[in-house]
Amino acid sequence: MNFVLIFLIVIFSSSLFFYGKSKTKSISIERNIKLNALPKFYGYYLVLWSSIPALVFLLVWSLFEPVIIKSIIIETAANQGAIFNDKNEANLIYEKIKAIHLGTYFGDIDTILKESAISYSKFLNIFTNSKIVLIFVTIIASVIFSLKKIKNNNKAREDVEKILKGLLFVSSLIAILTTLGIIFSLLFESIKFFSVINIFDYLFGTNWSPQRAFIRDASAITAAEYDELRDAFGFVPLIAGTSFIAFIAMFVAVPIGLFSGIYMAEYASSKIRRISKPIIEILAGIPTVVYGFFAALTVGPFFRQIGESIGLTVSSESALAAGLIMGIMIIPYISSLSDDVINSVPQSLRDGSYAVGATKSETIKQVVIPAALPGIIGSVLLAVSRAIGETMIVVMAAGLAANLTINPLESTTTITTQIVMILVGDQEFDSPKTQSAFALGLTLFVATLILNYIAQRAVKKYREKYD
Amino acid sequence: MSDVKIKSNNLNVFYGDKQALFDVNLDLNEKEVTALIGPSGCGKSTFIRCINRMNDVIDICKVTGNIEIDGVEINDENLDVVSLRERVGMVFQKPNPFPKSIYDNISYGPKIHGKGETKSELDEIVERSLKKAALWEEVKDRLDEPGTGLSGGQQQRLCIARAISVNPEVILMDEPCSALDPIATAKIEELIDELKKTYTIVIVTHSMAQAVRVSQKTGFFHLGKLIEVGKTEKIFKNPDNKMTQDYITGRFG
Repeated sequence: MNFVLIFLIVIFSSSLFFYGKSKTKSISIERNIKLNALPKFYGYYLVLWSSIPALVFLLVWSLFEPVIIKSIIIETAANQGAIFNDKNEANLIYEKIKAIHLGTYFGDIDTILKESAISYSKFLNIFTNSKIVLIFVTIIASVIFSLKKIKNNNKAREDVEKILKGLLFVSSLIAILTTLGIIFSLLFESIKFFSVINIFDYLFGTNWSPQRAFIRDASAITAAEYDELRDAFGFVPLIAGTSFIAFIAMFVAVPIGLFSGIYMAEYASSKIRRISKPIIEILAGIPTVVYGFFAALTVGPFFRQIGESIGLTVSSESALAAGLIMGIMIIPYISSLSDDVINSVPQSLRDGSYAVGATKSETIKQVVIPAALPGIIGSVLLAVSRAIGETMIVVMAAGLAANLTINPLESTTTITTQIVMILVGDQEFDSPKTQSAFALGLTLFVATLILNYIAQRAVKKYREKYD
Repeated sequence: MSDVKIKSNNLNVFYGDKQALFDVNLDLNEKEVTALIGPSGCGKSTFIRCINRMNDVIDICKVTGNIEIDGVEINDENLDVVSLRERVGMVFQKPNPFPKSIYDNISYGPKIHGKGETKSELDEIVERSLKKAALWEEVKDRLDEPGTGLSGGQQQRLCIARAISVNPEVILMDEPCSALDPIATAKIEELIDELKKTYTIVIVTHSMAQAVRVSQKTGFFHLGKLIEVGKTEKIFKNPDNKMTQDYITGRFG
């Protein structure tokens, strides 16, 4: 229904563009006046004025309609004698009424429900009809208003610019508000978690086994129960595993990525560059889940075999396999970015170095790389936050057991893996186990934020030094 | 007249299919300033870039003919470009100090050529080069600050000091003052006058007045050909060629 309305509004107002254009032309000829803007601006003006108020009205209406109908229906149901003790039961009855209206309810229908369902569809009809009428009125009013403005030869150019500026502002506002919304939802759930589990027990605990948290009511937890729980949510093994795997990944990706970036930018002929750069970038396009099963099914067992042949015990899910594959995944980020950065170092610096007799490799090492360093550091830190946030590869190849180990051949786990493990399947939302996922998410978010901040500070410092 | 330092013989340069220099025969005298003038795109810069083989950097560039320095052919595949560039320094149109400290900008060349093994030797080279480039007094207290933080004129003198630091015999200057204001330009010109006591200098310039002020010999290029060359005084007062006459009086170019 709403889609049809939106479609009609858009079609109608777009067609007004031509009307507005020709109308203004004829006005200017009739009255022999010079227009304040090009005719097409009057066209845009009409389009914007006829569509935006109607669309905003539709949006607001759609937001409030269900809420209003719901309160009306629950009230009428109560008047007819329906009994509900709290909000949840009221919601349940409302859902039943809706299902009866849609014909998808298969339980017993008593008279109260039946009556309510009838009044529900009645209200729905009233609301829909009045919506259509009101939208129609809105459009007519705004078209009349804007046509009047056009007749008075208003400054359509400025007005169109203002409206467009407003639209762009609203778009960025939506992006910012969404981010804030996500942060707050993480924050509130985490606060619930930390009201049960002491934050220091979480941050410095060395044991992670959230499946032990079988408590029904988190708010009424006894001291004995808490003693049982206090070492189930230790964050240290997770951050250790995460950093460890990220470190292995960077150990692989930084040298290979940086060197291939240098090769691409400085040595490769344009032909080689044209062919090989897209090929490297394909690495970035491979879905991480593909990397994941490659790590779990090929690389992991391969390491295990090699380990066995030289008498080492290698777990088939190992930090080494996951880190290695993650490193390969990250190579294109580093190589592509550092290639761009190195390319943007001005040729005049290279010329200056050649002119005192430096060779190509001396020039690269002592002039080009230092000049490109801020960008290179930036690309590496970007890759680090990518590695920390990466999920699929570690879920498949790193293992689930939260071992606190620095042996790369053992299985280990990461923050992201644990979030996945906790939220897979049916959940009780008031259990500390589920809430711990939000705490982990918040911690990950804060860690990435700090990393980005440090990266930007470092880059800025180098910029000041080298600009 | 002093001895010939650099001698070019039927020098031709091609960028891909396009020929940029046609049979240039030009002698440059030792410890003298030679100015190369001519309209944009006439091959002046291409010519001086042949003297230190900077054209090697450009893939599609091909050079035929001979250039000799002190009688030794330099347009030779087997020639060691590194030691050639040690002997022939270059200063570019836009000041291009490295994003390093003033000290490191100067010590870069000597370090590459293995000169100045100890810190005190390097210190000495840096001080001497900066003094020669008339920059020492302005920067001696802030040698560890970035070279890029200096003013345009100071940056260009820093680049001259960088070129001097490896003790070259020839300094090539490619429009060294075109990005500078008149005061900085005057300083550089003064410096060039001083430097010619020690070095053979070739300067490409678009300013006739500058050519008159700094050079002893002037060559006029047009469309890749060397039209006329001679004593600066003669070229600007009484040129043989009509085209030279037209150019220096501002009728074209």
